[in-house]
Amino acid sequence: MDIKLTNSAIRRFLKTEISPEEFAEKISLCGPTFDRLYKKGGDYVFEIEAITNRVDTACAYGVAREGNAILNQMGIPTELVGNPYEQQINAHESLPKIFNIKISDPGLAPRFTAVSLKNVKIGKSDKDVSTLLELCGERPINNAVDITNELTMLYGCPLHIFDLDKIEKKHLILRESKSGETITLLDGSKNKLSGGDIIIEDGGGKLIDLCGVMGGKKAEVDENTKNILLIVPMYHPRKIRKTSLFLQKRTIASQIYEKQPDIELCLPILSKAIELFGQRCSATPSSKIFDFYPDKLSTKVIDLDLIWLDGFVGVQIERESVLDILSDLGFSGTFKGENTLTCSVPSWRHYDLNIREDLAEEVARVYGYFRLPPVLPNVNLSTQEPNKLLTTELKIKKYLAALGYSEVFNNSLISKDLIDKTSQLEKDHFKLTNALSADFEYLRVSLLPSLLQNLKNNIGKTDLPISIFELSNIYLKQKESSLPDERSTLSLVTTDNFLRAKGSIEALFHHLNAPNIKISPLSKENIFLQKQRSAQIEIGDKIVGVIGEVNKSISHKLDLKTTPVMTELDLPLLLSAILPGYSYQPISQYPSIIEEITIESKKLVGDLLQSIKESDRLITNVTYLGSFKSKHSFRICFTSQEKNLDQKSVEVIKDRLIRLA
Amino acid sequence: MEATKALEKVKSSLTEDLSSVSSQPSLDELKIKYLGRQGLVNSLFKTLPIKTDSKIGKQINDLKTFVESEIKARESSLLSVSEDKIDVTVPGQLPPIGSVHLITQAIEEIENIFSRLGFVRRRYPEVDTDWYYAEGLNIPKDHPARDDQETFYVSEGVVLTAHTSNGQLREMELMGKPPIKMTNIGKTYRRQTDATHNPMFHQFEGLVIDKNINITHLIGITEHFVKAYFGLNRTVRLRPHHFQFTEPSFEIDISCGLCEGRGEINGSRCKICKSGWLELGGAGMVHPTVLKNGGIDPLEYSGFAFGWGVERVLMMKSGLNLPDLRQLFSDDLRFLKQF
Repeated sequence: MDIKLTNSAIRRFLKTEISPEEFAEKISLCGPTFDRLYKKGGDYVFEIEAITNRVDTACAYGVAREGNAILNQMGIPTELVGNPYEQQINAHESLPKIFNIKISDPGLAPRFTAVSLKNVKIGKSDKDVSTLLELCGERPINNAVDITNELTMLYGCPLHIFDLDKIEKKHLILRESKSGETITLLDGSKNKLSGGDIIIEDGGGKLIDLCGVMGGKKAEVDENTKNILLIVPMYHPRKIRKTSLFLQKRTIASQIYEKQPDIELCLPILSKAIELFGQRCSATPSSKIFDFYPDKLSTKVIDLDLIWLDGFVGVQIERESVLDILSDLGFSGTFKGENTLTCSVPSWRHYDLNIREDLAEEVARVYGYFRLPPVLPNVNLSTQEPNKLLTTELKIKKYLAALGYSEVFNNSLISKDLIDKTSQLEKDHFKLTNALSADFEYLRVSLLPSLLQNLKNNIGKTDLPISIFELSNIYLKQKESSLPDERSTLSLVTTDNFLRAKGSIEALFHHLNAPNIKISPLSKENIFLQKQRSAQIEIGDKIVGVIGEVNKSISHKLDLKTTPVMTELDLPLLLSAILPGYSYQPISQYPSIIEEITIESKKLVGDLLQSIKESDRLITNVTYLGSFKSKHSFRICFTSQEKNLDQKSVEVIKDRLIRLA
Repeated sequence: MEATKALEKVKSSLTEDLSSVSSQPSLDELKIKYLGRQGLVNSLFKTLPIKTDSKIGKQINDLKTFVESEIKARESSLLSVSEDKIDVTVPGQLPPIGSVHLITQAIEEIENIFSRLGFVRRRYPEVDTDWYYAEGLNIPKDHPARDDQETFYVSEGVVLTAHTSNGQLREMELMGKPPIKMTNIGKTYRRQTDATHNPMFHQFEGLVIDKNINITHLIGITEHFVKAYFGLNRTVRLRPHHFQFTEPSFEIDISCGLCEGRGEINGSRCKICKSGWLELGGAGMVHPTVLKNGGIDPLEYSGFAFGWGVERVLMMKSGLNLPDLRQLFSDDLRFLKQF
């Protein structure tokens, strides 16, 4: 929660010589963070981030209390004054009861204090009050409303006033709203409620307060107001949050209430308010104090083992410091045995402190994290198996970059439009229930659609060929699980031709030491590819990927104006083809004989190559040279490990090869 | 005599050939012509009657030696022939040049820093159940932290993770019991987009659990990372913060590299930091409830965890001066090929 406070407001409670700059810097290290500090209106303004579970620091007194504890540990003299819990409380028992409050459920408002005031004189606040409010980001309204805003800023306990004469029958009913009820608020907005909001209805059935968020227009205090009903209530935090988020009214009161401020502040703040109304509006109480408080807060007690504390923080903290810190923060404690301190939690920390680690935080932060040394832990983790997938991914990325491919990072989420244009099925995708925009709504089941878009975005901006790749998870639906199968996937797209693209992939397989991967004609249709101009990538009888020319209707729909070649590979399957070590072929001491031959055949070149390689063990290498119609030329290397080859034995094999057709 | 004639013929033809040779490649051709398997010298063995006249064999061998030495002599004389000048300022013929993405480079660097300290790298789901993502991390169903996370949902109990901390419980389950020392680096998603946020980004999570792990260890690891990644002159500070799954929780700042932690440059406020400090991210001591949920006894073990943004540290470090974090996700090759 971000708040603005002035230096002078904090110094009402904290007497110290330290400069505002130094104050901000020191408190930030141990307590709330001071984001900014600037001079304005003869004062300093601090922009402070009160940590979300520390609503007690979202006010001047709370910051002063923190400052007192923190500066004491730094050896800087301070004095904390103006403790609201020491406020004298007069219940005005002799005065009559002149209004009625019915609370339907204590769960909605665990405490509700109120008093009525008469002879109120409404006017403008003094200059110093309005300046203070303005510096803290509040708009001065009138002397009465300003009292409530100032007290909220000083003590972090919201309060509210109504014009008592505008409340029908002086009767208030606090209840949950029904869906569809409407209320006009002080800011003039008319709001339709969703139901379940905490509201107050008057004796005429009109809503006069959207509790904890903003008052209703109906009972607004104006320049003619004579009698005021002043309330200091506590509300159910989640309900306030829900209402304020639903109506987008993030008022200071709602931000405080949703974080559960101190229930014990109600009476002291009510009393302070009565005093100020007397001083500034010459008003006096006209009723006895109403205090609905069915379940009193019991004091929470937490044990702190001081030996454990030292071990957990990592340094030994002198006992005196521990006790000083806890006492400055409002804890009271007694020793139970030699090393255990039984700590009573102050009411303003009742909700955020529960376990010993919470107390350790209090001690350690005020002691000063900056006083703790950096230590590298000695953790004897057992040897873990290397993660082959992760190391292979990086190896692939680096090698592809060396082959001329550039890596892109696309969003894992794509649009319905892209799914349609790439002939995919919407039902195969996980769909977000709360997407930010239609552009990013479905989790990808293939990386290719994004890459094709990347290609399109680059055409005309950079020289051809354009070669890009992405290595990311895709998210596939699974039958037995509500979670996707997240599969690491490699995709490449290039404007280069098929054989070059295939060559890059083959070079990659060689680099990865995965020699047993076969590329053969597609055995079934693939939505992205032209079947006659594409292949599947196989390991044994498993298909691990595809490579080929993109389906013309997809290139057309995406307006690519070119037919790129794409490749997609499943990495976990590819891993299974990577050999763990290298095998070694001894280099022959005898010279090889190299011959070129041309074979006429209707077979696929790949099959021919395979048969040539397998036809004789003297054939140690075969290079494809080219084809003319059904005539295919190869360069063949014959080598023997045992002897010098003679031409005759080579000729015999060649004869056999030509008949392979 | 016919044999002598044949030998002489080869010799004179060699002399003639050598005189007309002016480059190494054509000299190499001559080598094959004379000394190859089917060359002029070898073919003499077939054409001359070496079996009837034992001297001929020796003569051919002598001829072979002669040819070899003549060629060698010509070779060394060729060395002194000066060749055309190369304009060395003509641009080289580049192989195709691709690029590894900056984010990948950052992840590699981060992983290496932590692996030097003995952290094992894991990969945990990027789409996960509510238990691992929130409930098990001590964030109950109606807790305000739920809407603060700005989380994308794919169904009632399944989210796109907004942090990598879902790996914490999964690691505890995997290992069974401490010691635990891991990093989980992965994609994370939040429903926000502006100059410092992309709806998809990357986080790296660290988790250490063992006996006697304390706050000084968290500071030690953090400082090591910061100095290794950003430079030895950078310093670290911890500020109190609140997260549901750690207690205590910290916000970690590192000193600004631009103004060197002074908060101002030549009298005006530093543009990139808050009073000399930059926010690195959150960290804390693992909450006892989280340890319990992971099957670890919080009375016996303690630990710390952190989760920081990859793009964030990349932007903070590099001096890239990218005005907008989202530019990292640009697909423009004119951008990508710069790295």
